[in-house]
Amino acid sequence: MQIDRNMNILVVDDFSTMRRIVKNLLKELGFSKFDEADDGANAWPMIQTGKYDFIVSDWNMPQMTGIDLLRHVRADAKLKDTPFLLITAEAKRSQILEAAEAGVDGYIVKPFTAATLNAKIQKIFERVEERKKANAG
Amino acid sequence: MENISVAQVESLLKSIKDKNYQEAASIIDELVKMKNESLVNEVKELSAGLHKSLESFGNDTIILKHTKHDLPDASERLKYVIEATEEASNKTLEAAESVLGKLETLESQITDESVLATLSTIQTQMTDIMVAQSFQDLTGQVLNRIVDLVTSLEKNLNELIVKAGVDLDNVAGLEATDEQRHEDEMKGVGPNVTKSSKKDSVSSQDDVDDLLGELGL
Repeated sequence: MQIDRNMNILVVDDFSTMRRIVKNLLKELGFSKFDEADDGANAWPMIQTGKYDFIVSDWNMPQMTGIDLLRHVRADAKLKDTPFLLITAEAKRSQILEAAEAGVDGYIVKPFTAATLNAKIQKIFERVEERKKANAG
Repeated sequence: MENISVAQVESLLKSIKDKNYQEAASIIDELVKMKNESLVNEVKELSAGLHKSLESFGNDTIILKHTKHDLPDASERLKYVIEATEEASNKTLEAAESVLGKLETLESQITDESVLATLSTIQTQMTDIMVAQSFQDLTGQVLNRIVDLVTSLEKNLNELIVKAGVDLDNVAGLEATDEQRHEDEMKGVGPNVTKSSKKDSVSSQDDVDDLLGELGL
């Protein structure tokens, strides 16, 4: 399946090191258009502009958590279908279930590998494609 | 508590038998009053004990010293670790990014299969180096939680100290004496990462060389 490598991606993490790592890995996977936000609270107004095709977010951030950001996105009629990947150190079963319930498309636990990120992104966009087909049919 | 006397009970019974209810009521009032007084006394004792504990807490110079110096110092040191690891991670990432960029350029110029295979291995390993820097985020999150804990502990201890009637600024002997400082320094104090520990420290090898140079070394 072909993923649009020109899509606009928003990387949200309060640690600049992690934003940098994620961006580099996405670059290696062929993506080129990224913006960054250091907190859910700063990411939300950026997302509301409707610019982003894919959101990669951390969970634990000081002002607005990734799970809250996800809920904001899913509660917005225009944005609710935006693919959302959580990359986080939060690894409690209850948290993962909560994220699934909130409508997360993928969940990666830190520390992670480039291969994991690649695999999850593939899976997310395969599902997006299936969803589109199902809606069209 | 003062005990109820037989006489009091007898006169209560007598007044009831005599249908002298006014008298009976006043004896009952007196008994209740005795009971209340004893309760007040117990509360007074408790409060005196509490006050004493607070006072001895306020006189505990080790706790005062920890609250005034060591806890803020601990927070500052933990924050330094977060910053130092961030700086090191960014340096590593910068180098890794640059190497990966150069590998890409090389890849387009090389046709030899075995060299290309080696390049690809190097590429994978550079990516591993890059991803390994995520330790900074993970350890940073752990340290941030400890900083929060230390800060809250410091705040609560400060409140308790104020309640004990102690003004930390005016307590003598909380600053380390020159002798104590010297003793610590001879044991070794590690990197000088806090504002106060940077005082009287050299900031570069040049400073060290200058200092020794002055001594003719």
